[in-house]
Amino acid sequence: MKHESLNKYKDSFTHYTELRVQENRNNRVQLTNGDVTGNVATTESGVSARVFKDGNWGFSSNPNITDDSIVSVVKASTENVQFMNTKDSSRCGYFLPETKANYDIDLGTKKDRQNQKYWVDFIREVDAYIENKFPELLSRNLVLGGLDMEKSLYTSDGSESYSMTPRALFAMALSIEKDGAPVSIMNPWGGLGHLEDKIFQPSDYFSDIDALVEKLKQKADGVHANAGMKDVILDADLAGILAHEAIGHTTEADLVLGGSVAGDFLNQEVASPLITLIDYANTYDGETCPVPVYVDDEGTKSEDVTIIKDGVLKRFMHNKDSARHFETEPTGNARAFEFSDEPLIRMRNTAFVPGTSSLDDMIASIDDGYYLVKTGNGQADSTSEFMFAITMGYEIKNGKIGRAIKDTTISGIAFDVLKTVDMISSDMSWSSAGMCGKKQLIPVGMGGPAIKCKVNIGGR
Amino acid sequence: MNQKETVSYCLDALKKAGAEKAVCSLTNSEKKELNVEFGEMSLFRTTFDTSMGMSVIVDQKKGATSINKTDKDSIDTAVKLVMDMARGSQPDDAYDIAENQSPQTFSKGDESANQDKMYQSLEEFVDYVKSTYPQIQIEAATMDFNHSKSFFQNTNGVDFEVREGMYGFSPMFLSKDGKNTSSFNYTGVSALEIDKPLYKYGTIDSLLKQSVEQLQTQNIPEKFVGQILVTPDCLGDFLGFITGDISDGKMITGNSIYKNKLNKQITHPKLTFHSHPVSNEIADGYFVTSDGYIAENSTIVKNGILKTHLLGIYGANKLEKNRAVNDGGATIVEAGDNPHSDIIKNIEKGLLLARFSGGNPSSNGDISGVAKNSYYIENGEIKYPISETMISGNIQEMFNNIGEISSDRIDFGYCIFPWISFKGVTIS
Repeated sequence: MKHESLNKYKDSFTHYTELRVQENRNNRVQLTNGDVTGNVATTESGVSARVFKDGNWGFSSNPNITDDSIVSVVKASTENVQFMNTKDSSRCGYFLPETKANYDIDLGTKKDRQNQKYWVDFIREVDAYIENKFPELLSRNLVLGGLDMEKSLYTSDGSESYSMTPRALFAMALSIEKDGAPVSIMNPWGGLGHLEDKIFQPSDYFSDIDALVEKLKQKADGVHANAGMKDVILDADLAGILAHEAIGHTTEADLVLGGSVAGDFLNQEVASPLITLIDYANTYDGETCPVPVYVDDEGTKSEDVTIIKDGVLKRFMHNKDSARHFETEPTGNARAFEFSDEPLIRMRNTAFVPGTSSLDDMIASIDDGYYLVKTGNGQADSTSEFMFAITMGYEIKNGKIGRAIKDTTISGIAFDVLKTVDMISSDMSWSSAGMCGKKQLIPVGMGGPAIKCKVNIGGR
Repeated sequence: MNQKETVSYCLDALKKAGAEKAVCSLTNSEKKELNVEFGEMSLFRTTFDTSMGMSVIVDQKKGATSINKTDKDSIDTAVKLVMDMARGSQPDDAYDIAENQSPQTFSKGDESANQDKMYQSLEEFVDYVKSTYPQIQIEAATMDFNHSKSFFQNTNGVDFEVREGMYGFSPMFLSKDGKNTSSFNYTGVSALEIDKPLYKYGTIDSLLKQSVEQLQTQNIPEKFVGQILVTPDCLGDFLGFITGDISDGKMITGNSIYKNKLNKQITHPKLTFHSHPVSNEIADGYFVTSDGYIAENSTIVKNGILKTHLLGIYGANKLEKNRAVNDGGATIVEAGDNPHSDIIKNIEKGLLLARFSGGNPSSNGDISGVAKNSYYIENGEIKYPISETMISGNIQEMFNNIGEISSDRIDFGYCIFPWISFKGVTIS
C-alpha cells in the first residue's frame, strides 16, 4: 500500500469525518496428509469514510484508491448521514469528544521476504518429520500463513496515523484413531510479526510436536469429565480466553449500552480481590503486546484500560460515541477489520495480572477437580455467562494430576466465577492466534497466569 | 473493459503465462445497510466491492489468489504472483477444474434497493418492539440489501454470469428489567423482497416474546439424562456436524466418521434432509458451485441413509468418489407428523433448546455446551426458562436417537428447519 498523508482531502469534509485507506494481505499454505490443499494469497484494499452528524452516522467504502474515489467516498458517507438526519433529528446537537493523535509505526519485518515456495518447502519438512516419527497418526493438517493489516487514517479532529501490523500463524491439527473414531488435537504458534520474524527452522518445532503427540495419545485414552460444578485450574495458556470471553465482552461499552449486566456493577466488587484485569493498548511490562494499537481507527490515542482493579469493576472500553454517552474519555478501542468495515469497540490485549502462587501449589490444593490446558472456541453473553471449549485437560485427584479428559466445555457466570478465585500463579502467557467475532472479525491478544476457580464443566 | 471482457483478459493472461488450466471469476457488489444500535437507527452504510479470483494449474501444481482491483496492472501483477505460487508448490493429480458446460446467465432478486422502504421497515420493527415488548433492548439490528453481478470462466469453456439481489435482516436483543438481564438472542433471515413486517419473518416474534420470559430463570433441579427438543434456530448447529463431516476437509483428512457410510444408515430413519440451492422454496440459494458447475438440488440423507458426500472436484478425485452436485447449504429438512407443541407433551423430562453455546464438536461427535435461551420441560409441559445449564452428548448418537420431528417448520430464507427431539442427552 502506498503510504501517504490523507490530509489533502480534508477540504472535502463538511462534518466530523474519519477517512481511512487500508490494505489487508493474507497468505496461506495448507498441507493435509502431505498434500498441498491450500496455496492462496489474497489482497484487499480500499478507502472508507465515516461521518457523524446529529447523532447519526454515514459510512461508505470503495475498493478504488484514487483522488476521485476518495472524494466520492467522503461525499457518499456525508449523503448517507444526511439521509439519516432527514429521517430522525431527535439527536440534533450531539457532539463527539475531540481527540487528536499522530503516530506512525511499521512492525513489518526488516528481513527479505521469502516466496511461497520457501514456505511450502518449510511446511513439508515439518510434515515429513511427523509422518516419519509418528506413522500411527490418522491425519496431519498443517497451516502456515500470515495477515498484514496496513492502515492510514486522517480525521477531521486532526488525527493522522499509519500502522502496518503483521501477524504470523503456524498451526497444526493431528488426529489418531481410537476405537474406530478419530481423536484430534491442535496447536498454534506465531504472533506479532511476519513469518520471517516468527518462524525459523522446521527443527525448532520438533520437540513441541513430540509433546503434542504425547498429549494426543493421552487424550485418546482419556475419560469423560464428570459433569457439574468443579474446582479447576485454568492453565496460563487459556486464562486469556477467560479474560476475553468472560469479562472483556461484557465490559465493551457498546454492549453495556445494549444491556450487559456489567452496566449495573461499575465500582462494585465483582471478583476476588486477587483479580486485576487490564486491556493493554500496546505494551505489557516493557514488551510489545501481540496486537499493539497506538492510535485507534477513530484517531484516539490508545491507552490501557484497567477493567477490574483488585476485584472492583473500574472502567469500560470506549469509542467516541460511547464515551459521549457515559461522559468519559474514549479509550482507543475503536477498530475496524477491513477497509469496508466501520470501527467497533474491540478488545486489544486483554489479560489478568499475575499473582504470587506456584502452579504446583495450586494443583496440590485440589482434592477432586480438573487441570485445563488447551482451549478452542468461546462465547460470551450479556449476563456474563460464558463458555469455552476445552480441548486438553486432566483430572486432579488428591492434589495430583490424573488421567487426561476428552473434549469438553466449561461455563459459568463470570462475575460469580471470579469471586471463587483463590489462587493465581506468577506466570504470564500471551496468545494471539485467534480472531474475535462481533459483526466483524478482528485479531486480538489475550493473556494471563494460571487461575484456580470453580466452573461448570460438561461431561457425562 | 467491461466485466466480462476483464475476466476474459485475465483468463487469457493466465494461459499466456503458462497455465495449463485456469479459472477466473469477477464479482462486483453493492451493499446498502441500515443499522440499529441500542434501539436507535444510527448508521447507514453503502459499500462497493470487487473480488477477482484466479486459480491455475501448471505441471499439476496449483495456486490461487484474489484481489479487489480490475485495472490491467493489478491483474498482470496477480497473474505473475499466482503462476509463481503454483510453480513453487507440489504436484497433485487430484487438481482439476470444471468441465465444459453450456454458457448460461442466471438472475434473481431486485437490481436495487429502495432505501426509503428499507428505513421504513426497520423503523416499524423498532417501534413494534418498543411498544409490544418494552423490556427488550435491541442491542443491534442490521437490514441490508446486497446486489452482486458475477462472471465465472475457465479454460474448459465454462462461461457463467450471475446477477443476484437479496435482502437480509438480523436482530440481536435482550431483555432488561431493573437488575434482571436475559441472555441475548439473535436470528437472521434472507428474502428476495420485503413484503411483510420484519417481526413476522422466521422466528423473530416468538424469540422476542421468549426474551422477556427469560428475565426470570431458574436452575434445573438436578443433573439427569433426558430429551432435548431443538428449535429451528438451533438445529443448524447440529446438522452442520453431519454436513461438515461429509465435506472435503474432514473426508480428505480421514477424520470423518461418515467416510465409509455412503448408502448406509447414519441417522434415525425419521430424518430426511436435502440441499436445494436452486429450489423455489429457498430464496437465498446459489446457481453455481464454488468449483464452477451449475448447482443442482440433492438429497443428503433419506430416511436416515446417507445418499451423498459433499465433495468438490479435489476431494472427489483424491478419494476416488463422486463429486457432489452442489456445495451443500440451502438445507431443507422434511417435516414430521406432529406439531412441536404436541412433541413437548410427550417429553417426560428435558429441555427446549433454543440456542446452543458450545465448543466445536470433537472429531468423534462429542459435544458439550450451554443451553441458552432455553426452557425446562417436565411431564409434557414447559416449566420455566433456565440458566447455568449444560448439555453433553454425541451428535452421531443423538441423530440415531431422534424422538420426533415436527410437522411445523420455519423458513429462514436460506434454510427450512423443523423442531427435532433427541433422546439420551446429559443435562447438568
